Amino acid sequence: MSPNRKINLRVWLKIPDAEAATVKNTLVRRLGYKNILADVKKERLFSIEIDSGDPEELAKSFAKELVNENKESYKALIDELLFEDEYVPVKVALHIEDGEAISVRERLRSRLGFGNVVDVKKATIWKLYFDTLRPEAEVAAREIAERLLINPHKDSYEILSRPII
Amino acid sequence: MKIAVMQFPGTNCEFETLVAVKAVDMEGEIFRWNRSAGELSDFDGFVIPGGFSYQDRIRAGVIASKEPVMSALKEEADKGKPILGICNGFQILVESGLLPGRSISCDKESEKGSNMGVGSGSNKASSNVDMALAQNVMISKGKIVRRGYYCDWVNLRHESPSKRCSGSFAIERGALLKIPIAHGEGNLVTTTPGLIKKLNDDQQVIFRYCDKNGRIINEFPFNVNGSTESIAAICNEQGNVLGMMPHPERAFFAWQLPAFDPRKQRADEAGPGRRVFESMKRYIEVNA
Repeated sequence: MSPNRKINLRVWLKIPDAEAATVKNTLVRRLGYKNILADVKKERLFSIEIDSGDPEELAKSFAKELVNENKESYKALIDELLFEDEYVPVKVALHIEDGEAISVRERLRSRLGFGNVVDVKKATIWKLYFDTLRPEAEVAAREIAERLLINPHKDSYEILSRPII
Repeated sequence: MKIAVMQFPGTNCEFETLVAVKAVDMEGEIFRWNRSAGELSDFDGFVIPGGFSYQDRIRAGVIASKEPVMSALKEEADKGKPILGICNGFQILVESGLLPGRSISCDKESEKGSNMGVGSGSNKASSNVDMALAQNVMISKGKIVRRGYYCDWVNLRHESPSKRCSGSFAIERGALLKIPIAHGEGNLVTTTPGLIKKLNDDQQVIFRYCDKNGRIINEFPFNVNGSTESIAAICNEQGNVLGMMPHPERAFFAWQLPAFDPRKQRADEAGPGRRVFESMKRYIEVNA
């Protein structure tokens, strides 16, 4: 029996993202990151675990259901989750039960007939662009996560940068 | 006796709230978020109304909680002035650390933050926020039956003795109020050890959701959002800051009640929500 595969769908708006703009504005104007923060962008992340089927084809099918291509773009990654180097990616997800992720799983399984979907997890990826070097940037990213991006009583976060070699 | 009804971008209940404030013979005015925060000291009390400040971006209430007026409101709260947060107002009070308020005024420097450099102030936000109002999860017979935004008339039981809290100062323990809710994030959760016990022991739980006879049944449709121990409202230790998910301003007059309530036809009668505003007024009179 082959091991389960994981399809990571990174989804972002093609149109301006007002939520990311508000986050940047708050960090710059209210929380003192004017001198080091260059920009903030945001993605939604769906991590879909499957127990059978062609992951490449399934990724396209899932994207048809989960991505509105009139306003969004996406990138599908199979069994890996990589990000570009020019920003610090901060993954924020609920550590309490995520009702929306459960609804997506049930919609894919029951209503759309994808019986090979085992699990769905959902997260927000905050892409923080800094005018500072990587180690400092990651320290600042942790601060930003804890001061603004999460409420620790329901959310957890993770810095997804590649290790510095 | 002058009340500031706070208005952030996305607030949507400020005018009904102002009507309620004036109808119990207090003066009041809308106070925009970008007005000079120093002017807040001219007021005797504050209401943060419901709505969707900053479109609930990131999570409900968090952006508004970082505004300079919230630092000024913390200073006014320290003076003992009453603050009533309704729905989104409750969410803002939680995100700013004013409720449940154990860490009150411990994080003013990080809120100002204008000269902050890399590495300073780490973990300040999580250190002064003791709970969250998470996404609604409605549970019945051990199963999740609904999630997300929900609006309905609910029954509330007043849990504390009168005079414990500014917003229920004139309400007796055990009183039942029928008041509407309308929110997507009212599920009180916390990872702070012992917080719920402390809220109970210190009588900081002001209202719980209940059935029409006042029984607490910790599942949907009585507990409308999955909140821990059916908690609908809490106050801070001092009792001057109250946050509640239901909207008393939408049940201020009897004619606002739902069609199936016989009181609706009695045009001159007060609605149950009036008691919250009357309490605030009485609290200010007593503490003046």
